[in-house]
Amino acid sequence: MKHVRLLVLTENLAQASLALAETESFHPDPRPPEDTRLDLTPGHQYREVFTRAQSRLEKIGRLVTLPTPEIEQVRVVEFAELAELNAWLGGLWDEASGYEEDLRRLEDAERLVKEQQASLANFANLDIDLGMLRNKTRFLDFYVGLVPRENLRQLEGAVGLAHHLLHVYMQREETAHVVIVGPTGTEESQLATVLGAAGFQHLPIPRELDREPAELQRDLAAERRAIEKQRGSLHDNLERWSQPFRDRLVEARRTLLLAEPLVTLDPSLRSAGHLAHLVGWVPTHALESLEQRLRDSLNQPFDLRVRDPLPEERKLVPTVPVKSRFLVPFRMLVDQYGVPSYGEVDPTPLFAATFLLMFGMMFGDLGHGAVIALVAWSARRRLPRFYLFGVLAGISSMVFGLLFGSLFGYEEILPALWMSPLHDPILMLQVALGWGIAFILVACLLGIYNRLVTADPWGALFERHGLINLLFYLAFLWGGYRLAAGGEFGTLPALLAVGSLLALAAFQWRELQAPTGERLLVVAIETLDTVIVYVSNTLSFLRVAAFSLNHVALSLAIFTLADMMGSVGHLLTLVLGNLFVLVLEGGIVMIQVMRLQYYEGFSRYFSGDGHRFHPLRLRRGGASS
Amino acid sequence: MSHAAEQAYLNTRVSMMATRLLAPELVGGLSKMSLQTLAERFGLTALLDDQPSRAARSRAVEQSLLQVLLAELKLLVRPMDAAQRALVLTWGRKFALYNLKTLIRGKLYALDPQEIQAQLFELPEIIRLPHQELFQAENVLELLRQLEAGPYRQIAHQAREVYERQREPFALEAAVDQRYYAEISHRILGFDVHHLDSLRRLMGAELDRVALLWLLRFRFSYRLSPSETYYRLVPSMRLLTSERLLTLVELETAERVIEALPAPLDRLLAQSGTIAEVQQRMGGYSLREIRRVLHQSQSAVARALAYLMLRESDLFLLFAVVQGRLLEFPQRAIEVALELIEPSCSRPDALEPAAQAA
Repeated sequence: MKHVRLLVLTENLAQASLALAETESFHPDPRPPEDTRLDLTPGHQYREVFTRAQSRLEKIGRLVTLPTPEIEQVRVVEFAELAELNAWLGGLWDEASGYEEDLRRLEDAERLVKEQQASLANFANLDIDLGMLRNKTRFLDFYVGLVPRENLRQLEGAVGLAHHLLHVYMQREETAHVVIVGPTGTEESQLATVLGAAGFQHLPIPRELDREPAELQRDLAAERRAIEKQRGSLHDNLERWSQPFRDRLVEARRTLLLAEPLVTLDPSLRSAGHLAHLVGWVPTHALESLEQRLRDSLNQPFDLRVRDPLPEERKLVPTVPVKSRFLVPFRMLVDQYGVPSYGEVDPTPLFAATFLLMFGMMFGDLGHGAVIALVAWSARRRLPRFYLFGVLAGISSMVFGLLFGSLFGYEEILPALWMSPLHDPILMLQVALGWGIAFILVACLLGIYNRLVTADPWGALFERHGLINLLFYLAFLWGGYRLAAGGEFGTLPALLAVGSLLALAAFQWRELQAPTGERLLVVAIETLDTVIVYVSNTLSFLRVAAFSLNHVALSLAIFTLADMMGSVGHLLTLVLGNLFVLVLEGGIVMIQVMRLQYYEGFSRYFSGDGHRFHPLRLRRGGASS
Repeated sequence: MSHAAEQAYLNTRVSMMATRLLAPELVGGLSKMSLQTLAERFGLTALLDDQPSRAARSRAVEQSLLQVLLAELKLLVRPMDAAQRALVLTWGRKFALYNLKTLIRGKLYALDPQEIQAQLFELPEIIRLPHQELFQAENVLELLRQLEAGPYRQIAHQAREVYERQREPFALEAAVDQRYYAEISHRILGFDVHHLDSLRRLMGAELDRVALLWLLRFRFSYRLSPSETYYRLVPSMRLLTSERLLTLVELETAERVIEALPAPLDRLLAQSGTIAEVQQRMGGYSLREIRRVLHQSQSAVARALAYLMLRESDLFLLFAVVQGRLLEFPQRAIEVALELIEPSCSRPDALEPAAQAA
């Protein structure tokens, strides 16, 4: 990755932004330049007008369906053109918002009719003259209506202070239907302001309430149909209204797509007079084509300076992600932990390989693997970026199924290319242990390499999982092997292990800034932790063998249960049992493998504190909105 | 796991963070500090930055102080469970509501978008409202329509109707504030016995303060009717409950309201001549209650919230001094402002035993 600084004439800025966007290899760097003369932000006003215009177009787009146009001809959108477009869209939105407001009023009216229908259904059971609720009497005031339920309690008290009574006769979702009754007089005006503040909405009581309820309901249903008709005609009007502008609106969308690159660059742009300054990151391999593109596009001179990232800029340099379609789903899982920082080994290929190996070994079954692969394949349209993960995991499971001779848990149908895990569990455990040791050693070596690359030699030597730590682990393994072989731990391995631990402790003592007692405590605990972590991490890999044994054992349990049933029950138990194994055991194995990767692997060599390369792009459209 | 064990981490964190609160002797000395000393002492680099105007410097300082508070809020909510986190975030959402009110006022008085933008706080994702969308609204009606699509739909719906009649922001702002406190009150009532008492004590004191001040203002400054005044109040779960407020709003003068207050508020506020004086004394009372919760409560979430409230008060104090210095106010004016924000415990003798009893 290289750091580039581009100086162009301000009048060429829009053209430069398009050229950079077309190469898709320029990641803007928003840091301000050191030169204080470059204190203007030439893209700021452009961005503000753009944002307003885009917001207006989006709002219009909610009412009028517009396709997203293709960009065939790339051209510069000048500020004057953008401002004119914004003003035009403003005028158009003024008109369109009237339609939107009308549509919302219809929605409100429909909601009110629905509430009326519900209210009448409730009134139907009452034996009183409801017509009286519609009118004021000489002494009494009636208010029938709706109020948000959350305002009810407070309103009840407030109404009481105005000498009125509030009765809730129905509650629907967030709304309460209430009747408020009280004496006519001066409190009436008080109450009006309270009701307004509480969001009270009058519910009109239909005339001729003494008619048949069914007849009233028919009237209300007709009212709803009328609202629906009005809505339809409003949409027709909207369609007719938009017809003359439609092409121009599509063109407006195209214009905004073309203006977008300069807007995206705004935080990174600075200028002084006619000179504009722009910095960013470009992958080394793309430099030549980027320069060529600028040369072809700009009609005025420009200056492009390229340099390597400085050591203090390391954290700011973006990381280009792996692009292989087979690795993309694994990259998504790596991203859950973090993004590799610049210079750090991207763990995705190693993660993919070790994940598949461990998953296959822990869940090795030709039949189950085939089901996983087929299910993932069938989901390829819904999960276009992730389905390959399932396909590959299924294939790995199938390969290990062939090695173990396992087909839907049956061990007798397929001849094992290697052996069934249950035939020699000790060997399986030894293989898993060996695998774990190799995994930890590789992880430590990668960690050391990453620290060396990021110019941290002391860290590579003394930090956790550094070279001295690795020396301790190797000495510990050596002594452990001698013990397991029936001998003693050995003086040399013991000296190496203790010596490396003391070196680690001394380094920590030097680094820690704390009172002596606290230092002593922390160093003692950390040293003990180093021993425990390496022992437990190594043993942790025994689960790889344990799950392969578990798979066989679970299948045996299912067969035993099935054998206790009749023929239908047998078949049913086998199907459900296999489903159980697939979902539950498959899920658990997946979690366990992720755990091994994140804890035993990534924590040793992967900082994950980088950030992704997001180049400036020109969205070329093509999809309907 | 026992309740104490569950709370241990958060309690420890709060205790450690509480050492950052301004000591009383430091508060006294704040008003005498120069801008240079304030910047160095409290890391206010924005004070020393080259800003085009005093207003810009003041705004930058305010923003950086708010960022300090919100960063601590984010740190404290991390180990909390869902209900605790929701309560603390609801409290922190007041800053999002400041922004909302700024937007409403800006749109209502057709202010320049740049001017509105400059007044908005930068807030973290967890408490932010969709300001950018609201900011792009062309007028108040559109803004209220957009609000109706979110969690403030009820307020926005009724406010739109009020706005169409009256065209003034008071009703909407009052409703926003009322809903804010009502939500806090509602969330507190959902806690179990381990937290409920402490939270009631903490927010009860705050709600008592807010309810009394609103009552006096609405009733005697804005001359609202008793029923409208009552409707706009948020009853406290401690002293000024809904039953008590129903009685208080019907009284004819502020003096009679103060006389009718329950102990210890009656003694605390006796002979308060103005609403500003009531505000000052209630502020002091509320701060003492908050400190008491911070130092004595067993509930970690109540202590965390108490810490944040005190920290907000401290930062506000600091900002008042900075602003006073930037505007070159006389020393005495700054001291008066500090006294208003953090009263030096007026009449503690009258208050302590009664507060304990409450």
